[in-house]
Amino acid sequence: MIELLRDLADLVWLVPALPLLAAVLVGCRQLLGGASGDAAERLTAGLSELAALAALLLLVLIDLSVIWHGWPGHRVIGTWFAAANWHGNLSFLLDALALSVATLSALIGWLVVRFSATYLHREAGFHRYFMVLCLFLAGIQCVLLAGNGLLLFVGWEMCGIASFLLIGYAWQRPLATGNALFAFITNRTGDAGLLFSLGLAAYWVGSFEWPVLLAVPLPLVDLRVLVLGFAVAALVKSAQLPFTPWILRALEGPTPSSAIFYGSVMVHAGVFLLLRLEPMLAQLPDVLAGLLLVGLLTSAYAWLCGLVQTDVKSGLMFATVFQVGLMFVAIGLGWTTLATVHLCLHMAWRAWQFLLAPSWLVLTRDRPAPPPAWLRRNQWLYTAALQRFWLDKLGVTLLAGPTEAIARDVRALEENFIDRAIGEPGRGRPILPERPLVCVDGWPGRLLASASEMLQRVENRLLLRGRGGVAERLLRDAGRWLRTLEELLEQPRYLMMAVMVTFVVIL
Amino acid sequence: MQANHELPLRQRLQHWIEHLTHILPAQAPIRDFVHHNTLHGFQHLPFAQALAAAQRLTGAQAYWPEDRFLAEYSAGRITRADLCGALEDVGLAELESEIVPGLTRRDLLLATLLAGSPVSHQAQPGYLKSERTTPLEQLFPRCSQLTAETSIAPTDWRELAAERWQMLCDEVGVSCTLRRLLEHLSGEDVLETVRSILQRHLAAHLDLGFAAWRNPACSNGFFAAWKASASFDLAWELDELPGVRDEIHDLPDDPVLVLETELRSLLPDEALWPGYLERLALELPGWSGMFLWRDRHPDFASAAAGSAHSANSVAPAPVDMVDYLAVRIFLERHLCAELIRRLTGAPLAFTDLQAYYQGQPAEFLVRYALHSANLPEDLQAAAAGLCAASADGREVSGWAALAPSLAAHLLADQATARAWQLARLAEQLAWGEAELLALDAAGAGRLLAEVDAIAPLRSQVWLAAYEAHYREQLFGALTANARHIHRWPQPSAQVVMCMDDREEGTRRHLEEVAPDIQTFGAAGFFGVAMYWQGVDDAARSALCPVVVTPEHAVREMPRPGNEAAQAAHTRRRETRLRWRERLYQGTRRQALAGPLLTAVAGAPALLTLAAASLAPAWLADTGRRWRQQFDGRVRTEVAVSAAVAGEAVADAVQKGFSDAEQLARVEGFLRTIGLTEDFAPLVLILGHGSGSRNNPHLSAYDCGACSGRHGGPNARVFAAMANRRAVREQLIGRGIVIPDSCYFVAAEHHTGDDSVEWYDLDQVPDAWQEKLDTLLAQLADACRLHAVERCRRLASAPPRPTPWQAKQHVAGRVADLAQARPELGHATNAAAFIGRRSMSRGLFLDRRVFLISYDPASDPDGGIVERILLAAGPVGAGIALEYYFSTVDNERFGCGSKVTHNLTGLFGVMEGADSDLRTGLPWQMVEIHEPMRLLVVVEQTPAQLTQILGRQPELQELVGNGWINLAAQDPSTAALSRYCPRRGWLPWSGEAVLPQVAKSIDWFAGESGPLAPALLRGALA
Repeated sequence: MIELLRDLADLVWLVPALPLLAAVLVGCRQLLGGASGDAAERLTAGLSELAALAALLLLVLIDLSVIWHGWPGHRVIGTWFAAANWHGNLSFLLDALALSVATLSALIGWLVVRFSATYLHREAGFHRYFMVLCLFLAGIQCVLLAGNGLLLFVGWEMCGIASFLLIGYAWQRPLATGNALFAFITNRTGDAGLLFSLGLAAYWVGSFEWPVLLAVPLPLVDLRVLVLGFAVAALVKSAQLPFTPWILRALEGPTPSSAIFYGSVMVHAGVFLLLRLEPMLAQLPDVLAGLLLVGLLTSAYAWLCGLVQTDVKSGLMFATVFQVGLMFVAIGLGWTTLATVHLCLHMAWRAWQFLLAPSWLVLTRDRPAPPPAWLRRNQWLYTAALQRFWLDKLGVTLLAGPTEAIARDVRALEENFIDRAIGEPGRGRPILPERPLVCVDGWPGRLLASASEMLQRVENRLLLRGRGGVAERLLRDAGRWLRTLEELLEQPRYLMMAVMVTFVVIL
Repeated sequence: MQANHELPLRQRLQHWIEHLTHILPAQAPIRDFVHHNTLHGFQHLPFAQALAAAQRLTGAQAYWPEDRFLAEYSAGRITRADLCGALEDVGLAELESEIVPGLTRRDLLLATLLAGSPVSHQAQPGYLKSERTTPLEQLFPRCSQLTAETSIAPTDWRELAAERWQMLCDEVGVSCTLRRLLEHLSGEDVLETVRSILQRHLAAHLDLGFAAWRNPACSNGFFAAWKASASFDLAWELDELPGVRDEIHDLPDDPVLVLETELRSLLPDEALWPGYLERLALELPGWSGMFLWRDRHPDFASAAAGSAHSANSVAPAPVDMVDYLAVRIFLERHLCAELIRRLTGAPLAFTDLQAYYQGQPAEFLVRYALHSANLPEDLQAAAAGLCAASADGREVSGWAALAPSLAAHLLADQATARAWQLARLAEQLAWGEAELLALDAAGAGRLLAEVDAIAPLRSQVWLAAYEAHYREQLFGALTANARHIHRWPQPSAQVVMCMDDREEGTRRHLEEVAPDIQTFGAAGFFGVAMYWQGVDDAARSALCPVVVTPEHAVREMPRPGNEAAQAAHTRRRETRLRWRERLYQGTRRQALAGPLLTAVAGAPALLTLAAASLAPAWLADTGRRWRQQFDGRVRTEVAVSAAVAGEAVADAVQKGFSDAEQLARVEGFLRTIGLTEDFAPLVLILGHGSGSRNNPHLSAYDCGACSGRHGGPNARVFAAMANRRAVREQLIGRGIVIPDSCYFVAAEHHTGDDSVEWYDLDQVPDAWQEKLDTLLAQLADACRLHAVERCRRLASAPPRPTPWQAKQHVAGRVADLAQARPELGHATNAAAFIGRRSMSRGLFLDRRVFLISYDPASDPDGGIVERILLAAGPVGAGIALEYYFSTVDNERFGCGSKVTHNLTGLFGVMEGADSDLRTGLPWQMVEIHEPMRLLVVVEQTPAQLTQILGRQPELQELVGNGWINLAAQDPSTAALSRYCPRRGWLPWSGEAVLPQVAKSIDWFAGESGPLAPALLRGALA
């Protein structure tokens, strides 16, 4: 039995694969129209829960195996793609950090799936919700268990897309879809950082595998550049300054999704990434100092803004960002064990607190203690906190504004040149006055029209131009020749001659 | 909104604001959710008119969509006969006259109703192009021919543009705001921006205890607070509104002045101001309504602060509606001006804007068609391209080229819709091409004119038919039940419950379990209006209908000798709650303690969450036991008697009731329910309440007659009064003899998990112990059977459960953190019976009927029924109408789905973190509700009821205006008649054949949909 546990670590790929499979199945069911009515909910929820539970149990068993067999460490399951001397591997790194955080996430994931199955009963988006939730569960396990940067990136993206889809869960509300887009675009900044670093890793190190990457002796300057990309990704995902606003716009989804994404699991992914890179970070005190500073600023920011919040979800969100900021401080100070422990406990508590957000009315009975008097009376700081230091608006002005301007220009280009060139429906004009039915617009249309015109001309000239056309005359001549030939061949003497010729040839 | 123009603006404003109380949602902060008529402000109007007015004003749908009615029609729950009756009920005349040869008006109207609503014809072009050729399509060409001949010839596009623009402009201040007008032009909704700017300030100002830090200027009112904050706000610059910040800084301190200046620059015509303010307030109905509610209830915040537990409460912020309107209109003007600047290049005033687009008809038409009409793709793309180009600030020249084709499309759209209407009608009338050919254009015109004439009445007819169908069933059931001779055994116990429709089930099952139990129903405060303060309550709360202000306060006190235990209990409980408070608040906002508390609580929280997910009922039960063990139990009693008559606590509320007052309450209540003789050995007064987890709308499930709280204390107080020797002795003098062999006990029924909490059981003398044990067991049995019946409508409940399974299911359901439907509340309520139980005992009524006990024999002058109608009428109507409106338009009158709700400021819910405040009932509560008006059947003669209606203007309003339907069952003959406001009393003569089953469970087993009434033979023993 204990021996069996040893090889269990090789099955770890099932942990992200099972929820992914569930997501695909639920999605297919919905596509094929098999998901409607109360009865259909059972299967969707059951599949999702089964996948989440199986992932959890597998992780627990792997955890158990550690007692007898030690940490499984880096496991390469297979090669995804390979070229020359570098490989994109399907590999997992199962150490204390990965296993503890992953097990906890799987547990929270399973509980949230169970919670949602009841909570979302008869919602129009029930099946869609579970599909996305399973996608997220798969993505986050990829991030946590990944043995290389590439797999982490895949998981990272899956989480990002799942988050986008659930913020826009109530897609009928323009605000919800707008916020989903805002969160998505902000997260692309982090993805750019991640891709940048992975690109550098491929170029300088030639491998994405964590053990190689973390131990590689790079010049400090190069290492610094490499780490910065990862750090940006971490800051965005964990909503640290200046990227905090996206997470506050992300509260549009159903309560359990807010709980698992922004309250509990996904918001810690950035912290996890930095913990994973600890050996690299340890060589770079200046980067650590930067993280410390960002963490401190974020904590101060979230604490101040949290004081003035009036709705439960935003209030809890700032509280979460505050403590995540503290984790960055801990990492900046090099206290990674403390950060890991804090991360795990914080995840657990926020899952509970967010799921209980609707209960706030009965859980508390009193207004919380006001801040100290010097702060309480400061009208400017109050305004700044209420408006969240205008970060949101600044983001829109500085990022979305220029992006929109570019988009407008591209659109103008498309409308004025590309659309004209390609042609638009209903815009067609007759090119030949004698053929008003043939309407075309754009280059492909014109090309097609002139091709057809040419063929038409050929047809007209050769075949259809009434009696006396060239083709008709030629054909008629050919027909007469053939008929004459046939008549000749039918006469006996020529027939005999032909038979004899045949014999001569045979002999 | 008419006010004298001579008055200064300040006073006129007060009039206008007073008027707003009629049209804005009047929902109290969510902790005190009480059912009330959503359209209470329109109650002075007849039902149909009120709904039409509300629909015009708010844009909400006041009736079920027609396809829902059509679905009920195809399910057989509305019949053709019902529709015919409804046509007459609504007051349509000359139904027999022929519109075209061979077609009576009645048949035509029925056909148009069954043809579906004209709105759903939007999909017609796609349908037309579909490959299948339906009979409908074969009719269509001829129909369009016919309508083409009748329709008015299209006009020039310039005229069309001028006409539409004028129409839009005329609506400003009458039925829309400038924002709405600009939305037609630009497709951009300024309200989105206004809401996000306003929402944070509003929530911060109204907050009842979530935020730790309040606006330093909030004690000077909302306008001052907003001004102080907004003049520091850098967002104006970022929103490209430079200069606004300085302008705010220089605003006068008086909101009325600001309001006047801004209104004047928006609309020079003062006559339009009240209408404009009304529109403005209605654009964010939730926030405006809450603000106005707080404005009208100035004591609320201080009362709420007074009940807080420590000194953290600061002075409550004053709330004045004028402040809100001033800020709202300031934002409206500036943001609209900015949008106009982007549209036209200059920040034009409204009058200039009017002139501008009069001069640019082509541009107007393109913009209008793009944002208001259903355009085909090519026109859409072209129009959008022009608008986008103009938004980029480029010179656009294509307006005039596009306008004619758009105008043609706009006109053609109307014509197709007409033809389509005719085709659907022809199909419904089973007309072929031959009949259509026989029809000439004039005939078609007449047909369509009839259809147009009934258009505003369509939903009304459907509703009347829907109600009529249920009424027929109910009248049949009552008549069939009256034919049976009832002979019930001498009662071993009498149980008085709340009139609540949910208790109909409990009563029925109790009678089935124990035929020798007699049950009564009454408004759940049992005639005892009081302030109640339990041993663990920090403040008192009113337990009586919202319209009543109690004059007595009753406290729960430890029994003599238990004072020390009580002190220990309070101390330990206080410690526990303080730690809980510290945990939840600390992890939210404390810098140092927060992370520490998080670390301590993380693991236990996850364990609890797992337990709550796997075994919610077990966890809730264990938690309750542990809490009780920790706090310690104290034996308590209620201090019903005033120590000194007239001794008052603060604000003229007397402590307890004097003997005379107790006598009056006991006598009055017993007479009301008709229990004045034949007292059983045990009389149980059974209040009710509900409980659920993770549910901001918690109190919507509680007792409506107790202001959305639990009715148990009232039952307990009543029983204590009725057991007092002094009261009983005086009652004898009043002709009510309660024998010494009779004892009153009290309990509370939990409508969520169907459990019963008994009060003061250890005080019951030994002589009654045995009978009490029997009653306990019988009631528990009945509750379990009731749980079985409830399970039939719950999708996640086991199918055909045993009583114990059902009980287990509902217990788990209530304790489940994830459960958005802890119980179904009043959903499906539809009728109320006021009369003896013999009227309805033995009928299966599917938990749809409020049952109010009343004995017509002891009420010759109708005084008692008058009081019952006055007390129960508004409560029942409030519940039924709130469910009605939240069902018919859950987006506007209700608060949408619970899953995205976000509790705000402890007074309401938003969707996500930035939306209007949502009022009304959540979708999960009304999902299975069948929206109809309450049908009140009174066991009394029509003549008596007519007199009462004449005496009571309040009832006149409810019944005469058709907010509830009234019917009478003659106490002696059991003949039924219903009251029609237009035609008076209409005697009923219908079929009274009902299915018969032995017990309720035989009728509902395996059914999950709505069920018709049935006769229960078992109960007829």
